[in-house]
Amino acid sequence: MIGTIARKEFSEIVRDGRFKWTAGIMVLLLLTATLAGYQKYSGYMRIQQLAQGESNTQWLKQGDKNPHSAAHYGNYAFKPAGPLAFFDTGISNYAGTAIFLEAHKQNFAIGRPATDQSSVGRFGDLSGAMLLQLLMPLLIIFLGFTAFAGERESGTLRQVMSMGVTNRQLLWGKALGVGTVVLIVVVPCVLVGTFVLSMADLNIVGEGMGTRVAALSVGYLIYGGIFLFLTLAVSAWAKTARTALMVLIGFWAFAGFLAPKAASEISKAVHPSPAFGSWFSDMRSHQIRGLDGESPWITVEKYKVELFRKYNINSIAELPVYWPATRMQKLEELDHPVFDLHFGKIKSSYTEQRRIQDRLGFVAPTLPLRSISMGLAGTDLIQHIKFLEDGEAYRRYMVSEMNGYLSKAAASMNATYSSSNYMRADEKVFSIVAPFEFDPPSLSATLREHRGNFVMLIVWLAAAMGAALFAVKRMSVEKG
Amino acid sequence: MIKLMISHETRQLFRSGALWSILGLVVLAIVFAAWSGGRSVTRQLAGAGAAAKFEDGLRNHMRRDAEKYEAKVIAEGGEYQFASVRHAPGMGPPQGTNAGAVGAETAMYVSLPPTGLAALSIGQSDIQLNYLPVSMATTLDVTKYLELENPVSLMTGSLDIAFVVIFLLPIFILAMSYDLLSSEKERGTLAMILAHPISLRELLASKIIARAGMLLTVVLALGLIALFSVGTDLGSADTWARFGLWVIATLLYALFWFSLAVLVNVYGNNSATNGTVLAGIWLVVVVVVPTLVSLVATAVYPAPSRMELTVAARAAQTVAEKNYMSKLDEYYYDHLEYVPEGDQKAMDFLTLAQANNNSIEKAVRPLYDEFQVQLNRQEALVQRFQFLSPAIMMQLALNEISGTSADRYEHFLEQVYDFHDQWKEFFSVKFLERYPLKPADYEAFPEFDYDEEGFALVLARLLPSLLGMFVLLLGVVLVPTLALRRYQVAAR
Repeated sequence: MIGTIARKEFSEIVRDGRFKWTAGIMVLLLLTATLAGYQKYSGYMRIQQLAQGESNTQWLKQGDKNPHSAAHYGNYAFKPAGPLAFFDTGISNYAGTAIFLEAHKQNFAIGRPATDQSSVGRFGDLSGAMLLQLLMPLLIIFLGFTAFAGERESGTLRQVMSMGVTNRQLLWGKALGVGTVVLIVVVPCVLVGTFVLSMADLNIVGEGMGTRVAALSVGYLIYGGIFLFLTLAVSAWAKTARTALMVLIGFWAFAGFLAPKAASEISKAVHPSPAFGSWFSDMRSHQIRGLDGESPWITVEKYKVELFRKYNINSIAELPVYWPATRMQKLEELDHPVFDLHFGKIKSSYTEQRRIQDRLGFVAPTLPLRSISMGLAGTDLIQHIKFLEDGEAYRRYMVSEMNGYLSKAAASMNATYSSSNYMRADEKVFSIVAPFEFDPPSLSATLREHRGNFVMLIVWLAAAMGAALFAVKRMSVEKG
Repeated sequence: MIKLMISHETRQLFRSGALWSILGLVVLAIVFAAWSGGRSVTRQLAGAGAAAKFEDGLRNHMRRDAEKYEAKVIAEGGEYQFASVRHAPGMGPPQGTNAGAVGAETAMYVSLPPTGLAALSIGQSDIQLNYLPVSMATTLDVTKYLELENPVSLMTGSLDIAFVVIFLLPIFILAMSYDLLSSEKERGTLAMILAHPISLRELLASKIIARAGMLLTVVLALGLIALFSVGTDLGSADTWARFGLWVIATLLYALFWFSLAVLVNVYGNNSATNGTVLAGIWLVVVVVVPTLVSLVATAVYPAPSRMELTVAARAAQTVAEKNYMSKLDEYYYDHLEYVPEGDQKAMDFLTLAQANNNSIEKAVRPLYDEFQVQLNRQEALVQRFQFLSPAIMMQLALNEISGTSADRYEHFLEQVYDFHDQWKEFFSVKFLERYPLKPADYEAFPEFDYDEEGFALVLARLLPSLLGMFVLLLGVVLVPTLALRRYQVAAR
């Protein structure tokens, strides 16, 4: 019985003019987005690898100089794209792509693509994810809002019910029919995307592509299911088809456009991030005055006295380590807690904001789905923060290697210390610093992080199904 | 007759629950948007204030040291001397007497003041930093900082009044008028109404006037209230001129959507189909076309990769540095504090540092300029493509009106570059002359005064968007007026 209803629903929709238009536009857009995303993504990966390689060479070939000067010259960390960035661009347009790694300074990631785009870019990216998050629900609404309300208006609902079909059978049949139509539109495009991706020889960062694609598909299927059952519920509940349509479009606009923005504003109000000016001056003042109120210059003097006592000496000339290098490393290390504190503030405010936005997912299923999608695509905040952390860890390692080398190798120069007497090092010394490598968050960690979002989606689906069952149970067969 | 019809429609609307829920949502959305827009502007101003206060504090500290030193020289006799450069604390004249040190170690924050309407459209102001630290550093260092904004929020975009107007207002308009004629036709009341001495055109006009009158009164009134509560600079004529433009743009945009509803109704389908078609058009105009235009613009004039630029700039920098650094080692250029006490080379190092910064800037600047040229090409393309969607025209217009557009920021940056040159010139000349900076000289430091763009310039940039919307509106009004003659009054 359910099969018959589904077949009827299916052929009715496919014959309707609405279907041809909406499906055609959807397919066209999905293909455009996939191909454009792929082109952009492969171009980005090529340039990223090229730039990282060149920057590593520049580090090695910077010319003979003092190792500490080499640390000032520094290197860059360029961010690789997430494994499914071509499908979901996530925050990548708004997060920096490169960090300058140099002695004494923890820098921000620079080169946000959004800065190099015209303001029309703020309308969003045409990506596969965007189409599935925004257009797919609308497609479901367009194809399904008449399912019950339309039949009621034309009087056929009464006829169908008189043939002994139960309300539940009717609901499952219609769900199956509409669902199949939507899948017929969406699945081929997804397959084309997967095919193109598998054909291309991409150097992908991140493991478990199969699992990622599977988990993403499950997420989007649940999301589609939520809208499908909500549409059927409203169609059964509403008196007329046009009321059903208006209510559904209202909810769609709320979930897809208003809710994410409102959630973002609310999260910023609850956990505000500092303004750059206040943040920067707080950090600078801690750097100058010291976290505990003791100037780093005084701390360093105390450190010198400590070293004198340790080696039982009383002049710099007798120190077994090169004093300028040792002192610089000490100053560097005094900055670490200051950076940790202030950059940590930014990081924790962003993380808290993200959590609030996830928790607000109970008002709109788009919020948890968006998070899951970015997370699995490797284009979310978690991935970006990990990149920043890896970059900073590398910077500290690079600087301490150079200072450490200098403090040992130049130990004998303590006695003859003057401005024209310094140590030079070459490529061989610079090569003790291993090249930077980004270690993205593991797939299992990503899935763990999004467990709550998956639960949220499943709750939404259960609620939508419940609402649909409830609505068909109390559905009136008569018009008006 | 038409007056009667309008008052009848209005009364009918007042009795319907739909109107009140729509108006309620409009009020809620605008209040929320005004609140969040106001927060954003307040935060920017607080950040600018804190940064300026900190740097002024540093400079005042150096000045106080110089004052103490001056008093000491007067009391004990002797010459007021120029301090040699060092980072570490030491003896002798304070660093406040050395213009090179003052100009390099303290920054002067210059800021782009928000216009009176900044809180109404956040625009690009969340990805630009509206206050920049000008020092002796290179231009690239001056402009490298960004406002701290969660990238997730940047991606999502602000919920400001511009969003409410561009995205939500059309939905409210369409919800009120998608069944303008179709509902009367479906109920069979249309034929009855038209049996009275009123034409279909008059009927449509009165329906639209009643709806538009109510909705737009609420929107404009709320806009005014928002301006009073979160606007700045309410006393200036500029603010009110901008608000006038805001009203014009909002009216044009809203009327476009009302006319579109009429257009779809005139082609006489049932309400459900009208609703589907209008929702589809909304999606195409507000989401699909803008994202496509953005896609095409970046595909036709792709901005050269920032990553390639970074590497290329570094190569240029390395060459420039080698020219200067071969003579003296850059070790001390980075670390003046380690120049042994009394070593006269310290002076040479700061001189060298300045020369080096200049040469880096000269080497790297063309690369960035080229980059900017490509961006401008992209922007010009979008300017032409904006006519494809009233949502794009409206976005460009509202950013322009609120002073949160890329163009105004560019105008600000040009002034910053000039001021940066002036700052560098002032301090490096005094430093090279080894002029001992007196406390009184601190009064004569260059100051930045933002010179607002002329209103005519703003208007000129705004005109294409406003004209585009006007022409589009005319088109959308004209078609139904002509097609109206063939409208079937009775349901088939």
